[in-house]
Amino acid sequence: MNKNRVKGHELGEVTCPTGFNWTNLKAELRAIWESSIKAWKIELAYPVSFLRQSVSPLIILLPFLIYGMVLVGGRYSENLERMVGTGDVVTFIFTGYVIMGFIGTAVWAMGFSIRGEQWFGTLESIFVTPTSRLSLVLGMALHSTVHQSIGTAVEFAIIYAVFGLGLKIGGILPALGIFVLMMLALYGFGILVSALSLVLKEGWIVAEGLHSIMMILSPVVYPLVVLPTVAQQASAIFPTAPALVGMRVFLIENYQPEVIGNIFLHLLALDAAWILFGILVFHLTDIYVRKKGSLEKY
Amino acid sequence: MDYTEDDGTYSIQTFDLTKRFTKKKHRGIFGFLRKERKQRKQQSESSRVTVALDHINIKIRSGELFGLLGPNGAGKTTLVKCLSTILIPDKGTAVVNGFDIRKQTSMVRASLGLVIGGERTLYWKLTARDNLMYFASLYKMPRNQAKERVEELLEKMQLSDRADERLEDYSTGMRQKIAIARSLLHDPSILLLDEPTLGLDPTFSKQIRGQIRELSDKHGKTILLTTHYMDEADQLCDRVAFINDGKVVAVDDPDSLKATVKETELVEITCFNPPLDVERHLKSLCPGVDIITLVHGDETKGNPSKIKIIGGNAEEHISTAIDALRKKNVRISSLNVGVPTLEDVFIKLTGAKLAEGEGRG
Amino acid sequence: MPRNVLLQSSAKSNFFIVWSEVVKNLKFLLAYPIVFVFWAIFPIFWFIPFVLQGQAFVGGLQSPSFGEVAGTEEFIPFIILGAILNSYVLTSLYGMGESIRREAYRGTLDYILSSPCNKAFILIGKALSESFSSTLYAISQLAISILFFGMELTLGIIMPVIFIIILLILGLYGLALILAAASLRYKQAHDMAHALEYVFYVFSPVRYPVASLPLWGQIIGRLLPLTYALIAVRSLILLKQNLPAIYLEILALLIIDGIMILTGFYLFNWMEEKTKTSGTISHY
Repeated sequence: MNKNRVKGHELGEVTCPTGFNWTNLKAELRAIWESSIKAWKIELAYPVSFLRQSVSPLIILLPFLIYGMVLVGGRYSENLERMVGTGDVVTFIFTGYVIMGFIGTAVWAMGFSIRGEQWFGTLESIFVTPTSRLSLVLGMALHSTVHQSIGTAVEFAIIYAVFGLGLKIGGILPALGIFVLMMLALYGFGILVSALSLVLKEGWIVAEGLHSIMMILSPVVYPLVVLPTVAQQASAIFPTAPALVGMRVFLIENYQPEVIGNIFLHLLALDAAWILFGILVFHLTDIYVRKKGSLEKY
Repeated sequence: MDYTEDDGTYSIQTFDLTKRFTKKKHRGIFGFLRKERKQRKQQSESSRVTVALDHINIKIRSGELFGLLGPNGAGKTTLVKCLSTILIPDKGTAVVNGFDIRKQTSMVRASLGLVIGGERTLYWKLTARDNLMYFASLYKMPRNQAKERVEELLEKMQLSDRADERLEDYSTGMRQKIAIARSLLHDPSILLLDEPTLGLDPTFSKQIRGQIRELSDKHGKTILLTTHYMDEADQLCDRVAFINDGKVVAVDDPDSLKATVKETELVEITCFNPPLDVERHLKSLCPGVDIITLVHGDETKGNPSKIKIIGGNAEEHISTAIDALRKKNVRISSLNVGVPTLEDVFIKLTGAKLAEGEGRG
Repeated sequence: MPRNVLLQSSAKSNFFIVWSEVVKNLKFLLAYPIVFVFWAIFPIFWFIPFVLQGQAFVGGLQSPSFGEVAGTEEFIPFIILGAILNSYVLTSLYGMGESIRREAYRGTLDYILSSPCNKAFILIGKALSESFSSTLYAISQLAISILFFGMELTLGIIMPVIFIIILLILGLYGLALILAAASLRYKQAHDMAHALEYVFYVFSPVRYPVASLPLWGQIIGRLLPLTYALIAVRSLILLKQNLPAIYLEILALLIIDGIMILTGFYLFNWMEEKTKTSGTISHY
């Protein structure tokens, strides 16, 4: 374990596993798990806040639903059916909106978890441990994904009970596959935002900007075809556009996607690109803040 | 980096370690519109750079309890942060437990335990046990081993009975004990303790000093302790380094350092109510003395102030100084001759008081 | 017993408190120009999805079924006005609480609270500066909407619209005071602000008319000042009505304003006294 020392030191034994090996990988995975558990414990220390956050996805969805239904005077839209083969606005909005929640997870919960540690004052303490910084971010990502999933489940149960949803049960598994691929790319995106949040004093503005742009360029509450052509093309760089189209194909009866292509390949390519880009920027900002000495500053 | 001086017996060794910080000057929102003359710009740029560490070279032997002494802003914390890989130095490097802080960051992090200043380095919303268990996972300890170790450390810190309380209900001293326990989780051979007793009451300070001594004596840890309490360093450290303005001024064991101030070179007058210009006034009356300095005591609480006359022929000026003080209605309570403290040595070497200075420590 | 501190000190000194607070907050605002630009432009991005959603669902810019409940078939100006007025709610819900939290974080809260002046005037100062910046943001958003989304605005209705907005802001001040009172005592007042935001978001006609809600939802909606302000402003701008035609909304706003401001002042003074005795100020 005590490899590559500067000279033949007979110094203290280093017991922590490091490098590329199974023991170290196991230790990193455990650190990811424990970081997520820690985030849960802190979150549950504020029970009111937790309850509020569990219902908030539903609350934010309601205006989109009611507005949509008022526009078409019911839940059937002839125009929507002409565009994508299904006119059921409730199912269309719901499937899109679920994804929107996870965009928020990647940008805010994950991207700003590091900033949260800075606020607690614990950032230096966790950064000085031998655990990889990415594991720390991923631990917080795990927490926020589970958190968002709980909110989504509450939302699904209520919307299903009140409105009913025309979903194909058989399509759930492949849709989940697409969902996982999308989340991987969003993790890459979250890593990028967490890096930016460390360097930029007003990092939340960048995050909010990216969030809003991604929201507009994703077919959350409308099909992509209503966007100008340039915007449709630009949407291909975010995982949410192909993922939403793909998930709707599997989940919604008669859904004929407005934009088609090899969704799986597209998502895999985006996964690789966003994760690598995220890690690269994270690595560079880590060096930058350590050189600049701005780690502890809020 | 040339490691040729490294003979392998040092746990920590720095090589010309240098760190500068550039302070951003606030120019207001329309600052970019203002034109600055080139010369003025260059001038203001140089004044914005603070040299926190200036070619630091220190060697700390394995098992040594090494004190780093200096006023606030001297560069102590910056040195600790560089050694613990939180900061990357601008120039030079250091070798910690045989690993280069620039190239082998994970190994350096795995080699040391760190206690840094600040109240909030732990999660206040978690219990002491939860905090320690979490950090144990970040130090990559297997769960069972971590559990045992956490119990052992809680016991050692005499906090077992309160282990399941949230830290927000702890006192500052108790939280500091948990911070020390955290640094010991992975049983590192090196500990970096940055002002571990700062802000603690005397009882907790004493307990923590006892633990530091024990970690050094019984467990053979190499400890780098930064402090601006001279007594603490004198009491605990095998060797101390004085650091001022980012430079190491002297390194030696406390006794040898104190021996550099000769008996005739030090007079300490303990008194109440000295006038503010007393330093200047006495200096004009006592030629040939290096330094005359006033260390304010909290007189409202009955702690007297001290006037120190250091260097040259200090002893010869006792009567002159006392007469002058009496004339100024200063109440003198005692007089010490030739019993130097580390603070006196520091003052003699730097001309600065330890309580002076502001900013980055 | 809480005293009626409104009558306690001279009007001149109270005006000075409000003035200094406004100046201080505006200086903070100018110290962060990016934040300023953000709020002036970004809320537009939040209603773009609603615009596109409308176009996708109805295939044009007018919806007959929307017109049946809203009185206007043009849904885009409807939601633009909703979003702009709603931003006043957001700033009063979060602006003041945020401002108090910032003081606590900077360590200045204890000094402010231990000063001999009536703290409610400090809050008024904070609220005024929030309103001032909100209005700047609203003007910018409106200008963008006129340029890019085909909003129309005739000069003649500007004064009546400003009058309605002032009535809305007064009611929101009361609400902000209630929240400020809560944040002095409860650490989780932030969650209360969020809960209130949700109530406004769902039950007032920001994106759709109140009539599209179930009856119980309409009743809740009718208790909120934003509901009347939105109906009034839309009547003025979209339905080209004049002030006398919306006298009922104006009356409702005046009543809600009165109730909220009095409750706010009373609660805040009461909570401040209580906090002084139990000592939980700035415990974050």
